[in-house]
Amino acid sequence: MVPLTWYIALSALLFMVGVGGVLLRRNIIIVLMSVELILNSVNINFVAFSYYLQDLTGQIFAIFTITVAAAEIAVALGILIALVRNRNIINVDEIDTMRG
Amino acid sequence: MIFSLKDIVAILPEITIVAGACVLLLAALLIPKGERKDVIAYFAIGFVALAAIDTLIISGMEKTTVLGGMFVLDGYACFFKFVFYIGTILSILLSLNYVDEEKINVEEYYILMLFSLSGMMVIASGANLLTIYLGLELMSLPVYVLVGFLQRDIRSNEASMKYIVLGAFSSGILLFGISLIYGLTGTTQLVGIAEALTDATVHVPVFALAVIMLVAGFGFKIAGVPFHMWAPDAYEGAPTPITGFMSVAVKAAAFAALLRVFIEGLSTVQADWQLVVALVSVASLVVGNVVAIAQSNIKRMLAYSSVGHAGYALLGLVAGTAEGVSGVMFYMLTYTFMNLGAFGVVITMRKGSQMGENIEDYAGLAKTNRALALAMLIFLFSLAGIPPTAGFVAKFYIFMALIHQGMIPLAVIAVLMSAVAAYYYARIVMIMYMREPAGEFELARSRGLVYALVLAVIAVILMGVYPTYFIELAQRATFIM
Amino acid sequence: MNELLLSIPFLRDHILTVVIFLPLLGAALLFFFSDEVKIKWFALAVTVVDFILATPLVCRFDTTTHAFQFVERYVWIPSWNIHYYLGVDGISVLFVYLTTLVGWVCVLASWTAIERKLKEFMITLLVIQTAMIGVFCALDFFLFYLFWEAMLIPMYLIIGVWGGANRIYAAVKFFLYTLAGSILMLVGIIALYFAAGGTFDIPELMEHRYSFTFQAWLFVAFFFAFAIKVPMFPFHTWLPDAHVEAPTAGSIILAAILLKMGTYGFLRFSLPMFPDASIYFSPHIIVLSIIAIIYGAFLALAQEDIKKLIAYSSVSHMGFITLGLFIFNKNGVEGGILQMFNHGITTGALFLCVGIIYERTHSRLIKDYGWGAKLVPIYVLFLFIFSIASLGFPGTNGFIGELLILFGAFESFKPFVVFLLAGIALGAFYMLWMFGRMTFGAEVAHGEGDEGHDDGGHKIWDINLREAIALIAFVVFVFWVGFQPGPFLEIMHESVDNLLTQVAGSTDVAIASIK
Repeated sequence: MVPLTWYIALSALLFMVGVGGVLLRRNIIIVLMSVELILNSVNINFVAFSYYLQDLTGQIFAIFTITVAAAEIAVALGILIALVRNRNIINVDEIDTMRG
Repeated sequence: MIFSLKDIVAILPEITIVAGACVLLLAALLIPKGERKDVIAYFAIGFVALAAIDTLIISGMEKTTVLGGMFVLDGYACFFKFVFYIGTILSILLSLNYVDEEKINVEEYYILMLFSLSGMMVIASGANLLTIYLGLELMSLPVYVLVGFLQRDIRSNEASMKYIVLGAFSSGILLFGISLIYGLTGTTQLVGIAEALTDATVHVPVFALAVIMLVAGFGFKIAGVPFHMWAPDAYEGAPTPITGFMSVAVKAAAFAALLRVFIEGLSTVQADWQLVVALVSVASLVVGNVVAIAQSNIKRMLAYSSVGHAGYALLGLVAGTAEGVSGVMFYMLTYTFMNLGAFGVVITMRKGSQMGENIEDYAGLAKTNRALALAMLIFLFSLAGIPPTAGFVAKFYIFMALIHQGMIPLAVIAVLMSAVAAYYYARIVMIMYMREPAGEFELARSRGLVYALVLAVIAVILMGVYPTYFIELAQRATFIM
Repeated sequence: MNELLLSIPFLRDHILTVVIFLPLLGAALLFFFSDEVKIKWFALAVTVVDFILATPLVCRFDTTTHAFQFVERYVWIPSWNIHYYLGVDGISVLFVYLTTLVGWVCVLASWTAIERKLKEFMITLLVIQTAMIGVFCALDFFLFYLFWEAMLIPMYLIIGVWGGANRIYAAVKFFLYTLAGSILMLVGIIALYFAAGGTFDIPELMEHRYSFTFQAWLFVAFFFAFAIKVPMFPFHTWLPDAHVEAPTAGSIILAAILLKMGTYGFLRFSLPMFPDASIYFSPHIIVLSIIAIIYGAFLALAQEDIKKLIAYSSVSHMGFITLGLFIFNKNGVEGGILQMFNHGITTGALFLCVGIIYERTHSRLIKDYGWGAKLVPIYVLFLFIFSIASLGFPGTNGFIGELLILFGAFESFKPFVVFLLAGIALGAFYMLWMFGRMTFGAEVAHGEGDEGHDDGGHKIWDINLREAIALIAFVVFVFWVGFQPGPFLEIMHESVDNLLTQVAGSTDVAIASIK
């Protein structure tokens, strides 16, 4: 059996890659993908804990998280399309109309 | 699991709002295009009022936990729901004219507000981290869209993009914290977490990390420093009524969750989070109020002021007592009126080519529009916390809770920052009253605006002069004794 | 008259409420007026009625007790044990009366001086009157703080909207200075609430004994609020700006009432509640007072602007008062309180004089005058009376107050007297210098203007009946206190005795505990 720590290590790694991606990458699509990575690391956590604790809550939580993530990404892409239509930009640091 | 009648009754307000929103989505097709928007708006207000009546009726019930422990109906939830109702109704009233001005010809605007409201209500009643998370998302998703509703305005697009990226990022962090807490305590039930935490073995360093992640996740939603960077842009870019809605109802909902999670779930480990929350609070007070001074756009200024107000309200959580909790509740109630009032004035200034967002645009407003300037004066001095307005009593309440816990240095920082805040609020009053107008003012005029402003003025003065009733309401509604 | 008023049951039971809120009611009613003449007369009527209603407070005041009188007490916010609690004692009653007097004088002073937005001005004036009277009557700390802070908004507007050229700067400075000072007091008030077991009741808080450390912290927290209002050196820099830019009525209110609130705060709160800390800090405060006396006087000497001169003379005079209060003997404290009243009368009157002449010439510079004796002899007579009252000439009110403080200082520590006398001498010098230059200076400095015109071509006329009435109101008190100070002192005797026993009692305890 794979020990719990391995799962946690994997999810922590994914989480860090995700956070790094959000903070460092410029392309909005990649930023959104990094957010997905974070959410998936959470899912790994939930499922692993659920199995380890022999408790269903974690798996239920993971299913909800997946669903919500899908909704979130749909909205995000919709907004991105509006943005591209108006300004034709895809990079985070070009979002700079407002300052202060 | 079988639904009992009790379950249904307890979630009747939520059902009313969600069903109402769905009905309106369909019904919109039956109404002729010309008057569709306004009719939908009135119906939306109607549904909120209906939910309010539901809530009023069931608020008399004993504290009950339904739906398998996921959903709790208590005075606390009902109090916050009323704050959300007020925030939503006022925002809809403020929108009536604004959507015409900005040529938003889609009735979904109001329906999305209803969906967002339903999310807030779920948050307020959430007894499980899962419910609270779902509520947060249900609240946030419509708001992401609403922020970007001015499709042709680049500022609005950008605001919405920033908001959703950072919002999703923050909920990811929040979820990671939740997953760690689940792993450590074996439950996502708040009561269960509290029980599990009495066992000292749970208390490992990872737990502190989980708590910090929770603070960060909620910190984004309430726009506390250092998680506030989205707020100024999102507030500036969003349609102004939505800015008001976000700063008031969304923030109140995030506080509802924050208090519930930290005081009900994590109160046994108060020492772990108290310092972190206190640091966020002080940082919000200082950054919010100091940076607000430098703003020339009134929506941005109110955004930073809102960061500062989040700092004040967080102080109630730092105190961590029943007094602190009811202080935050009262704060959110007063903030709803005074901040939406201020945004109402900003919306009134938006007419035709006049954007009304630059602070200099307000020069000499008092010369030509006495009533409007007086209303703005009352809201601003209330935000600054000067008696006899509601804002003063709210701050007083928070300070009482803090000083009762002996946290005098925090209270001193808070009052000093309120002097800084008074500077930029008084500056707007100065510009309105003591400068000469540059030209004629064009003002938006609609009945909705007038109702909303009059209601807000009355509430701000009433809660400033005779707050007894509202304070007792907040005190009775806290979930800790 | 007084019996008649008090025979009305409602008035007898609620006299303070009526006196406080009548102006606010008047302000609310003023919203419905549109005719300027009617607005003026209505505002005058409200303030005069308020003045008449306040007279029984003084005339029917029971001088045999130090207890609070005309007390009203109702539960307000039960969750925090907050009461709507009003009452006056020998210390506060005179200032309630002074405020109502200044109220109608201010309306008269603004009769023609306010040229735009008269209605808003009168409303603001009435609102601030409610807040000011409230400050002196409040016996619940929450209520007190409410009135104290509520004063800021109307005063901010009075200076900022109706003030002179540099009004915005002055208004913002005034607002921020006073606000920054008083917010720390809020923390102090709440700390006091918990220290005394959950009460904002001022008389009850006075009964309590607090540890020395607590007293010291609280004293400091309150000190900034009061010291900025007084203003004591080095917190006085807002005062000249505010005085110079404020319209006449604003200056009168500032000088006559607002400054008194600082010293009133010391008397009402700092001394009885934190007696050990007061004694501990008194040397510092006395040093600051002496600096204020001398420094204020020298600054006054150097001013070309009449309003600035009077403003700096206020700094100097308020130094006398704080010194009197913090030497903790009967003469000093009574002299201080009387001098608070006197300063309100004379400085208020001097600002009124400046306002009257400013309306004619639109100049505040001393050098633009000098034809006073020739063109406006009656005006000069009034100016003379107030100038000598301000410098403490025998027979005027200032003399009595300063003499009592001198006695007190002499009993306490003789070298103080040297500084006080220096302050008085300097005061005589700058007041007479100003008076002389305004009245007779023209023959030296300027050519003669035409008959009825100054040499700037402004039409000059002597004071009219309205102005005369306003000035006479002040003259009455100048000589009344000057020749018959007995009744005024009698009102405060009991309260001052009680105050001093509180301070002295605690000293004994403190000394005993050290031994």
